[in-house]
Amino acid sequence: MAAATEQIQTNSKLRFFESRTLRRFVRHRLAITGLVMIVGIGILCVVGPWLLPHDMLDINIRDRFSPPLTDTFIMGTDEMGRDLAARLFMAGRVSLMVGIAAMILSTLIGTVIGLVAGYFGKVTGTVLMRLTDSFLCFPQIFLLLTLAAFLEPNAFMITLIIAVTSWMEVARIVSAEIRSLRERDFITAARISGASHRWIMFRELLPNTIGPIIVAATLTIAKAILLEAYVSFLGYGIQPPMPSWGNMLNNAQQFLDTAPWLAIIPGIAITAAVTSFNFIGDGLRDALDARSDAQ
Amino acid sequence: MARFILHRLGHSLLLLFLVSLIGYTILHLAPGGPLSQYALSPGMTQAELNQIAERMGLNRPIPIQYLDWFTSFLVGDWGESFRDGRPVLSVISGHLFATVLLVVSSSVISIGLGTLVGVLGATRRYSAWDYIATVGAMIALSIPTFWFGLVAIYVFSLQLDWFPSGNMYSIGDESFLDYAHHLVMPSVVLALVSVAIWSRYMRSAMLDVIGQDFVRTARAKGLTGQRVLYRHVVRNALIPMITLAGIQLPMLLSGALVTETVFTWPGIGRLFLDSLGYNDYPVIMGVLMFTAIFVLLGNLIADILVATVDPRVRLE
Amino acid sequence: MTTSKTTNLNRRNFLKTGTAGLTLLMSGVAGSRLAAQDASGQVIIGFSQEPTVLHPHMPHIEVDEGVHFNLFDPLFTVNSDGDFVPALATEVPTVENGGVSEDGLKWRVKLREGVTWHDGEPFTAEDVKFTIELQQNPNFSAMRRTGHELVRNIEVVNDHEITWEMESPFAPYASILSWTFIVPAHILADAEDPNQTDFRNSPVGTGAFSFGERVAGNYIQLNANPDWWGDGPYLETVIFRYIPDMTVLYTQFRTGDIDVIGLQGIQFDRFEQAKQLDDREVVITQASTVESISFNLGKPQFQDPAVREALYYALDKTTIVDAIYYGIPEPTESFLPKGSSYFHEDLPKSEYNLEKAKQILDEAGWVPGDDGVRVKDGVRLAFKNSTTAGNSVREQTQQFIQQDFAEIGVEMEISNLPPAVMWGEYWQMSEFDTAMVGIVYTTGPDPDVSNYFHSTAISAQGGAGQNTWQYKNETVDELLEEGASLFVQEERKTIYNKLQEVVREDLPFLPIFQYANLRGHKAGLEGFDPNVNVRIETWNVGEWRWA
Repeated sequence: MAAATEQIQTNSKLRFFESRTLRRFVRHRLAITGLVMIVGIGILCVVGPWLLPHDMLDINIRDRFSPPLTDTFIMGTDEMGRDLAARLFMAGRVSLMVGIAAMILSTLIGTVIGLVAGYFGKVTGTVLMRLTDSFLCFPQIFLLLTLAAFLEPNAFMITLIIAVTSWMEVARIVSAEIRSLRERDFITAARISGASHRWIMFRELLPNTIGPIIVAATLTIAKAILLEAYVSFLGYGIQPPMPSWGNMLNNAQQFLDTAPWLAIIPGIAITAAVTSFNFIGDGLRDALDARSDAQ
Repeated sequence: MARFILHRLGHSLLLLFLVSLIGYTILHLAPGGPLSQYALSPGMTQAELNQIAERMGLNRPIPIQYLDWFTSFLVGDWGESFRDGRPVLSVISGHLFATVLLVVSSSVISIGLGTLVGVLGATRRYSAWDYIATVGAMIALSIPTFWFGLVAIYVFSLQLDWFPSGNMYSIGDESFLDYAHHLVMPSVVLALVSVAIWSRYMRSAMLDVIGQDFVRTARAKGLTGQRVLYRHVVRNALIPMITLAGIQLPMLLSGALVTETVFTWPGIGRLFLDSLGYNDYPVIMGVLMFTAIFVLLGNLIADILVATVDPRVRLE
Repeated sequence: MTTSKTTNLNRRNFLKTGTAGLTLLMSGVAGSRLAAQDASGQVIIGFSQEPTVLHPHMPHIEVDEGVHFNLFDPLFTVNSDGDFVPALATEVPTVENGGVSEDGLKWRVKLREGVTWHDGEPFTAEDVKFTIELQQNPNFSAMRRTGHELVRNIEVVNDHEITWEMESPFAPYASILSWTFIVPAHILADAEDPNQTDFRNSPVGTGAFSFGERVAGNYIQLNANPDWWGDGPYLETVIFRYIPDMTVLYTQFRTGDIDVIGLQGIQFDRFEQAKQLDDREVVITQASTVESISFNLGKPQFQDPAVREALYYALDKTTIVDAIYYGIPEPTESFLPKGSSYFHEDLPKSEYNLEKAKQILDEAGWVPGDDGVRVKDGVRLAFKNSTTAGNSVREQTQQFIQQDFAEIGVEMEISNLPPAVMWGEYWQMSEFDTAMVGIVYTTGPDPDVSNYFHSTAISAQGGAGQNTWQYKNETVDELLEEGASLFVQEERKTIYNKLQEVVREDLPFLPIFQYANLRGHKAGLEGFDPNVNVRIETWNVGEWRWA
């Protein structure tokens, strides 16, 4: 009975907390800018290819290297004479999807590991956290490239290896949060009332750590997009003809002095998308930070 | 204090063991092998490749290979490169200087610039300057390093011809100025990412300190704003930055790898990428272990420093 | 400035063979020392790969040979006209001069006198014996055993004469010897483990240059060998600089940081720009590598010859070469390089004709399924095409071909792999569907290709060789066996012409073009002489000089 009341209380607390968070978030000008930007980019990527007169796969070798604003090629054409704009938008779909999927996967891994490690403590917790720490000892790119260099590259694999190399931060955050919550009254109460470990972990503890997880997740999308771009840039990532912002740069590098727009345009797209997520993440962090009221 | 250090050291060694296990497993479970580079050579046959593999001990079970590798590793024998047969440690040390040079000079730039931006942001909070600095730093954090490097090469090497597009020095002219000239672009590009991180931490650390009692006391004592700022606030805000520097190491090394590949800088990152291309397992493992040791050592030193500065930490 | 290789270099070749003849007469007399004393200046050669293995007989890659050629000498070398030129031997053994017996089983080689190793020790027949035996040593990771395995009863007649017997006549052995650098017995013979010697990092040879120093990841420096037996060297130092990025490599060539742009060279799209550079000569050099789309005939789709033929009709070679490769290489129909004396000039020319391609497939019973991809007997005409990931020019070609193949109802999926995976078992053991690959089929100037086309060379079927297509044709086997046992060029020519016709007919791979590279050097550097018979352009730095 006690657990149930506590439950209701935390839930209402949660709702109140969230609404205040929301207000703070909306007031955060950068975060809103980021949100508007990423929604804009998202819409362009989804709708863009339909609006353009060219298919992203149409090869027209005679029209290659047309600079931007040639005829109907608003961003010009690439080394195969394909419409750069169409490719850029399609690439955006791929890169954003990889970023988001990698975020979901890595957040999932990180949350579960952090939750289990934080809740159980002792041996399980120690083992899991040591594992997390040892993954953190590798500079991420080193680990990522080692995996990428030996696996068959495709969108799924890239998502997977990005997730495998970026879950550690979430795990650390979650486990730290859980450890501080573990001894709180409402958890003790739940335990006494005989709630199962799983109930406590997922119904009691998890909702209370959701804030930091969301912040970390947003920033993970930003990082995942950058990582995908780098791995594809090296040729170990998304394979042509499927475009991604990274593999567009791989081809473009060669034509840097003759057709610089091929390198500049996708780079700006990456920067814009990553900036948006970083803005949003920053806004969320400020909004969730209790201190920001006091300041 | 000694107990604290011993404890942390033991912890680091355990991590190192885990790191080696993870690295080795990933590396050896993957398909392909170090011999594929010879596959397209005229006259090479699979039978000969198999013989070579046998002589290199590559056809033994992976756990045995690992044990063999690990026991040698413990006594300081990191194996020999599959490519040129030189000891891994000497291969790594041959590339070390370039990376250290790049990392140190870019850290000087990023910490200096980051601290400046952070301090200014905290002292003039919500001013236009603070806003521009925050947004600017955030955008810098979002630019893909490799792409930024490419654009820098395009603008400053290919178009303006101000800086060389790669390498660490020109053969025949290895003066200080020559090094510096080559160093400008890569170190600035590498620094750019971390400026944002430093300035953000510096700003919030400063704000934390400013709000604390002793600062108010100092102000109440009648000390001037400037003196309070530099004697008390900045100094105390620097403490968390020690920890941050430790945490930043892996990221900095990742960044260095990317920068080195774009600017053909002959450092550890370049070595790593080349070795991956050749499946030079001993060198790849060597670099992974080396960076891990580097990172662990960085964290250890940071821990000890913080413990020295702030005795409360030791009690944990 | 550009120079067409053939017109400009012929005169130089003539001069060179002239001087080579002269030194031959003066062999034993240290006549070349005069030249070596004027050695001055240095040349910096830029490579986009790093030379690492300096032991010429341990497994190594192409770029390493660029250094080997200047540190070591073979018994005789092959020049850019495809002729053998004596090096450590005083003459090239042939049937005519009695160096090789009529049946091809007995060899006799006379060696140059007065040659010393870089450490001052004299070079003798023992070194030659040691070198050949090293290739046979089962404990040694030899790069190439082919040919050497057949050598028996090596006998040192005296310090400057050696004889041996062959188990069976093997015509390509002369070409193999022209690649076999002689290594010093006095340093290597005592090694406990021939694979573990300091020699790998401090090589000692008889070549025009001796080893200076190596800064890993950066450069290798060689110094003039004043006691070289040959005519030269004219340079005091040679530096091989490793510059892993093509843009940087080119930029440094443009700014003059490097004197010669070597391996991987100038990217084709920069050709026009590079030609305009002042004081630089840009040269198109032919390589013997042939680019192809290779089929794995073990896969059911490709067992039908009609499929291979149809795909060849759907391959727009002209556009690939002209647009993607800027018209620099030449389309080819053969696996032998143009310039080889065995090259078949009159093979049927392929034709780009999508209608014809469709017709062939229709007639062979491949009917389009619901998704537009053709099917026959439950086999979909769909496959993967793989090559080294990150090679953007090949990726462009793949995408271009993909579109045409789709047009005729063939689905080609691009699946590129990291080099270590691609060229590992995936390629060696024929696990791929199709691959885009550049292969050097020949052994130097010799046309023997048994290692590639003989049915016993299929690794996937337990054979020893590089027949990764799993190509089997009895006629081909017979031709290969006959060709390898004949020593008279005219007789061999008939055989290899026939062979090229059969392979062109069977199409185990679709030949696209023969490689050409863009190399460049500063004006005023003389002696740069690209050679289609070796794998690298720095094979004769001993003869280079500044005007």
